[in-house]
Amino acid sequence: MSQESLTPAELLQQRNRRTGLTIFQISWILVFVCLVIVNWQLRGNHPSWPPPGVNAPSALLPGLATLGLLASAWLARAATRSLAAGSRAAFRRQWRAALALGALFLLVMGYEWLSIPVSGIYSDVFRMMTAFHLLHALAIGLFMSMIARGAGAGRVSAQNLWPAEGATGLWYFVVVAWLLFFPVLYLI
Amino acid sequence: MATITATPGLGSRTTEGAAIRAADLLRWSLDHKVIGLQYMASSLFFFIVGGTMAMLIRWELLTPALDLMADGTQYNALMTIHGSVMIFLWIIPMMAGFGNYLVPLMLGAKDMAFPWLNAFAFWLIPPAGVLMIAGWLVGPPEAGWTSYPPLSTLFSPDGQTMWAMSLHLLGVSSILGAINFVVTIRNMRPAGMTIWKMPLFVWAVLATAIIQVLATPFLTGGLTLLILDRTAGTSFFDPGSGGDVLLWQNVFWFYSHPAVYIMILPGFGMVSEVLAVHARKPVFGYRAIGLSSMSIALVGFTVWAHHMFTSLQPALRIPFMITSMIIAVPTGIKIFSWLGTIWGGKIRFTAAMLFALGFITLFVFGGIGGIFLAAVPVDIHLHDTYFVVGHFHFVLFGGSVFLIFAGIYHWFPKMTGRRMNERLGQLHFVTTYIGTFFTFVPQHIAGALGLPRRVAMYDPAFTNINTVISLAAFLLGISSLIFMYNILRSLSHGERVGGNPWRGLTLEWATTSPPPPWNFRGDPVPFDDPYGYGSDESGPYLDAVERRFPAPEEAAGA
Amino acid sequence: MNPSNNSNSLMTVVWILVAFVLLVVGGLIIAEATPLVLPPAASAEAVQVDELFKILMALGGSIWLLVQGAVIYSVIRFRARPGDDSDGASIHGNSTLEFVWTLIPSITVVILSIISFQVWVNITTAQENAQVVEARGARFLWSFSYDIPGETQNVNSTVLHTWVGQPVVLNLETADVNHAFWVPSMRIKQDLLAGRSTEARFTPILAGEYPVVCAELCGSGHGDMHSSIVVHEDEASFLDWFDEEAFIILNPPDDPAEGGQLLMTAGGVAGLYACAGCHTLEALGWDAIVAPNLENVADRAATRVPGMEVERYLLRSLFFPGEFLVPGYDNLMPQHQYQDPEEANYMPLDEALDIVAYLCTLTASGESACNVDMLPDVMTEMGMG
Repeated sequence: MSQESLTPAELLQQRNRRTGLTIFQISWILVFVCLVIVNWQLRGNHPSWPPPGVNAPSALLPGLATLGLLASAWLARAATRSLAAGSRAAFRRQWRAALALGALFLLVMGYEWLSIPVSGIYSDVFRMMTAFHLLHALAIGLFMSMIARGAGAGRVSAQNLWPAEGATGLWYFVVVAWLLFFPVLYLI
Repeated sequence: MATITATPGLGSRTTEGAAIRAADLLRWSLDHKVIGLQYMASSLFFFIVGGTMAMLIRWELLTPALDLMADGTQYNALMTIHGSVMIFLWIIPMMAGFGNYLVPLMLGAKDMAFPWLNAFAFWLIPPAGVLMIAGWLVGPPEAGWTSYPPLSTLFSPDGQTMWAMSLHLLGVSSILGAINFVVTIRNMRPAGMTIWKMPLFVWAVLATAIIQVLATPFLTGGLTLLILDRTAGTSFFDPGSGGDVLLWQNVFWFYSHPAVYIMILPGFGMVSEVLAVHARKPVFGYRAIGLSSMSIALVGFTVWAHHMFTSLQPALRIPFMITSMIIAVPTGIKIFSWLGTIWGGKIRFTAAMLFALGFITLFVFGGIGGIFLAAVPVDIHLHDTYFVVGHFHFVLFGGSVFLIFAGIYHWFPKMTGRRMNERLGQLHFVTTYIGTFFTFVPQHIAGALGLPRRVAMYDPAFTNINTVISLAAFLLGISSLIFMYNILRSLSHGERVGGNPWRGLTLEWATTSPPPPWNFRGDPVPFDDPYGYGSDESGPYLDAVERRFPAPEEAAGA
Repeated sequence: MNPSNNSNSLMTVVWILVAFVLLVVGGLIIAEATPLVLPPAASAEAVQVDELFKILMALGGSIWLLVQGAVIYSVIRFRARPGDDSDGASIHGNSTLEFVWTLIPSITVVILSIISFQVWVNITTAQENAQVVEARGARFLWSFSYDIPGETQNVNSTVLHTWVGQPVVLNLETADVNHAFWVPSMRIKQDLLAGRSTEARFTPILAGEYPVVCAELCGSGHGDMHSSIVVHEDEASFLDWFDEEAFIILNPPDDPAEGGQLLMTAGGVAGLYACAGCHTLEALGWDAIVAPNLENVADRAATRVPGMEVERYLLRSLFFPGEFLVPGYDNLMPQHQYQDPEEANYMPLDEALDIVAYLCTLTASGESACNVDMLPDVMTEMGMG
């Protein structure tokens, strides 16, 4: 979208929205940081983690899902750029692909959540963290699918870029939050 | 910026005229002034609620035995809700109210950056308040406002869950409000107002908002775990199943210590304004005050475990003592700077100024008590005693609440177009000052002598001192009634004023009282130095403001 | 404060010196109030803590006087005279002054931190030959179990006994929620944390009896959770007390009711039962009010549930306290169990029988309300034993 076409008031609004989104991202990501710290303190109390008799879940499937999530964020970014460049068709294609990969991630992690055996504190922490992330991913994913519909109806366009831009920012947030969680839950 | 004529997304104003009526406070509004007053009105309501509970607590403590309450549980519920209401529904939202009302005005802006978000953040508060109080119907929380597990998880009734949900909502409200402040202050300052020319209240709100944005997420995290432990059968805080009770203490205080500064920093900002205006002298050491707000905000993140000196692993106690002591330095800078501000001024003894001066003398006592509590060996003795109760009431009542009073006397004319009654204000000040001193100083002594906090029954040796405390507390109750009466009476009978009754230089005074729906007619140009009192340019500037926004003719007003 | 011309400089320095001396003297006078606001110092640690407290009083007193003085002086000297509408001097700051009032507090807090650290090291250093006491907090009772070198018998009591000059180390554990073990006269306080074991140490220096207080909110009876420390003159008088207690435990009475009474005051295999934390029973010196009064409990037990015998009612109440809640009381009593000695709230059946036998004697007439011989049958019917 050309910056020159904006009135000063619209410019201010755009600046405010971007600043606001950044501050929200910084703030809310700290909830995830808090939960990572919780994970660390709890495992620090146990001589071995997972505790004896509990099997750590395999990282393979969630690892692939993580790659899918990264690709999804990349697609969302590309879609927003396409929209800004005025190409609605490219936007819808890329945005739908991003949504599909996001849905795949949700399905895999939903399966992981259901399949972890309940085993006291280990599964408590695991299920709490994955569920907390899943809820965020789901809510923001739904918001993104509403934008897909909005784009179909012509409500989201190069002239009204912010919904797509904001949703992409939130989807980045989901990715960063997951990049905090994934190593703690599966790798370390 | 100065060329903006209409701001999209700000919504229409429900208030067509300048005056905001009581009924407007019950409606959804996007006007930051209405939202600010909504915050303040709801906070004052909860101040009365929490204050009534304080009176009941002091009544119970007149005697060493249980007499007013049926059992200890009732007492614990009362003091839990008293603390939670006073912190989360009175002081924090009250400060948010001042911020909402004043920040856009001080910046010469038409509104906050996100008016809808602003309204949403406020409207989370009433349901949170209902949740908190309604806990009484299902068995009230009884684990104190700190709610340490396992008392709060395995032993407390369902009201505890509602308490946690209430705090959850208030936390979200606080984060949303803070985002709005940071964006507004960063992006919407008028041309020519660098951060070094912002009013100190704006500095303080910015520092507060940064704390809220960075600390409140930890409250959210902790409360999520607490609610899961209580309702979903998890055991994050249950050591019997691999959990950890210290985990909650760490997470809780990582938020709640910075929350202490959320409650006092906006007040620090207000007192800087009030002292400069009513002493007719520039703030002494403007940069030092602004920067000390920021350093308090930052160092405030490293001191949380001083609330845990008797539970923390012993090896970790000393580092937290050192960071806690360091906080005394920026706080000291502020106090000395305020003294420098009134030194050599022409002090007007308005009610606002009395409370600001009273604040300095009381707050320094609270600060000194804080040094006692920071020193680990002494804190080991004083921790969880009435010394602590006295200390935090000194800084919260003698500090935050005194500043709220000062702020209300100072900005009431701006908000309503009428001055509060000065005689009643003086009476309010004298009774409050005496009440504060004789309630909270004896509490320090009782604690040091051996009276633990949060007890409904106590050693009869403490009967006399508790009687003194209770009587002084009742005086505080009466003084608050005087204040409420003054507000209600002044709303309709107060002397009418123009735009700038105190001859202040900050921008909120350069418009009518109360300001019109979009705050300013035309674009306000800030006076170059917000504290340029006594300078050659300030006199003509203030005269011009006075001519432009004159007080209504008494005949017209009557 | 901001000398503007040199002719006044000398006078300013003199005034600053005078003010400084006044503040120091004032602080020292305020510090003299230290003993008035603290309980008597009964431990070696307390003496050191009080020294630090006194330093803080002197320092804090000076700062307080400084600020009060400055405010009062300003209020009088710089008040706007009637009719004076002018502004004050346009002074925005003074770098030197601001530097000084940043530097002095900085140095002060460094010094305070060093002194506090020193005291902290001194009062927490482990002493040799310490008397080890296992201290337990249960809602709403303190109990202590002694480990005396050379003595095999373990003695429990609700009052902590020790003697002058003997370092004591307490291993603190809680049976339920967090508590805090506080002895104001010894200046020690340590939280008892669920799931963790914590430690406190002190060395008494003054014979006498001192209160022990719970300082961490633990529930409805929190304010009532107190005990005391008896500091004997010397080891010999401590051992007199200890041997007497040990003798009683080593020679238990044959009568089950008397045995039950002993169990309730001196504890059983699982240590002291926390009955005294909540119940009132004058005969044993209990005065807590959280739970139903036990005076003449056997008389009331006979009437509470129609058709239920006293012994059955009392026995069931020990193991299933939630079953017959007395109106007006919450279900706060620990649910005892007799199956696993390792688990919490263990009460072996033979001890339970003795306790019931004792409770049965709590009648207005003084006669036992039960047929003690019937108890084993009741137990069998209930599926126990």
